[in-house]
Amino acid sequence: MRWLFEPVPKGRIAAFRTLVYLFVAADLVVFTPWVRHHADTPGELYQPLLVGRLLHLPTPTPLLVHGIFWLLLGASVAAATGRAPRLLGWTVFALYFEWMVVAMSYGKVDHDRVGLLVALAALATVGRARHGDPERTEAGGWALRVTQIAVICTYFLAAWAKLRFGGVDWVTSSVLARAIIRRGTDLADLIALVPHLLIVAQAGIIAFELASPLIFALPQRWKNRAVAFFGSFHLATFATITISFLPHLVAMTSFLPLEKVRPVCWARGFAARRRGQVREHERPVV
Amino acid sequence: METLSRRGRTARAVATVVAGALLLAGTLWGQDDDFPFGPFRMYSTAPGPDDDAPDTRVEGVDATGRTVVLTEANSGLRRAEIEGQQRAYVDHPARLAQVARAYADRSPDAAPLTEVRIVIRWTGVEDARPTGTSSDEVIARWVAR
Repeated sequence: MRWLFEPVPKGRIAAFRTLVYLFVAADLVVFTPWVRHHADTPGELYQPLLVGRLLHLPTPTPLLVHGIFWLLLGASVAAATGRAPRLLGWTVFALYFEWMVVAMSYGKVDHDRVGLLVALAALATVGRARHGDPERTEAGGWALRVTQIAVICTYFLAAWAKLRFGGVDWVTSSVLARAIIRRGTDLADLIALVPHLLIVAQAGIIAFELASPLIFALPQRWKNRAVAFFGSFHLATFATITISFLPHLVAMTSFLPLEKVRPVCWARGFAARRRGQVREHERPVV
Repeated sequence: METLSRRGRTARAVATVVAGALLLAGTLWGQDDDFPFGPFRMYSTAPGPDDDAPDTRVEGVDATGRTVVLTEANSGLRRAEIEGQQRAYVDHPARLAQVARAYADRSPDAAPLTEVRIVIRWTGVEDARPTGTSSDEVIARWVAR
């Protein structure tokens, strides 16, 4: 129980909040702009997901899709400032969830969103948190912990799904060859020529996915390295089959001491030094 | 330090267990339809090491006779979305008329489509490596009358 609520500095929540909400805004505009194209898709092609049917969510129309887009864009940028964290947090969560239902209800479901959705729901339960605040918070600790669990579930349960849908033969199958044929880059085409390399890669993928929960047993320095390793896996995936898993990577930063990343402070300090001001510890000793 | 009340802890613990149980159940018995609790089934199938690989595309023929590959940009539909509803298109090719409509809505200046077809390019695979050989198969076709 104590593990689930392990307190973290409020500054970490503030940093994670800003990152997550800015990503939502960028996701709308830059990373998955195709969701907005569903404004023009005929309603006959809409096949609502179970949650859409249960909640009686309406068939997307241009008004609905563009309305959610602009509302969500405004709410997410406002939420990134850290103001009204609960009101804006729940608003962003509800709108982004509906945005995802629109995105996934035309025949293709993506699997890189669960960590981000959990982060959005959990962040809305944490109260105000200022950047740089060292005070520790249990509510914030829980929010980061459940996001971390969702991120690791994305790996561990993906291995489980491979065993369910593909069986143990998955390891020696031609699944990666298929992926490369469908959407491989020039680099992937080169890799595919190396005998047995794709089979070795498949064994490596399932091994690291099954071992991923071990990250919770690591000390912080090794956690950072594990996150770097996961990141390198997604970098390799992007370089070979152009799948980025970006929402998942954003959620994965919940493992990192983000309160140490202070770009605004650094910029202010840099500007002050350019003006000739020096801090106490920078004064020469005479 | 800001601590949680007993009620706050209990509510959060219950939410964690419920969401975890749903995700686990989705992985064991669910399908994509159960999003966000469905199985993480990206690349989870196991095609045989010598099974040919399908590479699907959707193409249309416009009123000028030009063949156009339909993409997310010009039709608003992703290839994977067409594949996800592939069975429905094969059973009812007239459904492809909706794809032609989506193209007309997204690309209002383009000549209208008079034909839409789903084509699978089967690429040869041997020992889990592509051989470079391929052949095309049309699995669904709609022609405007």
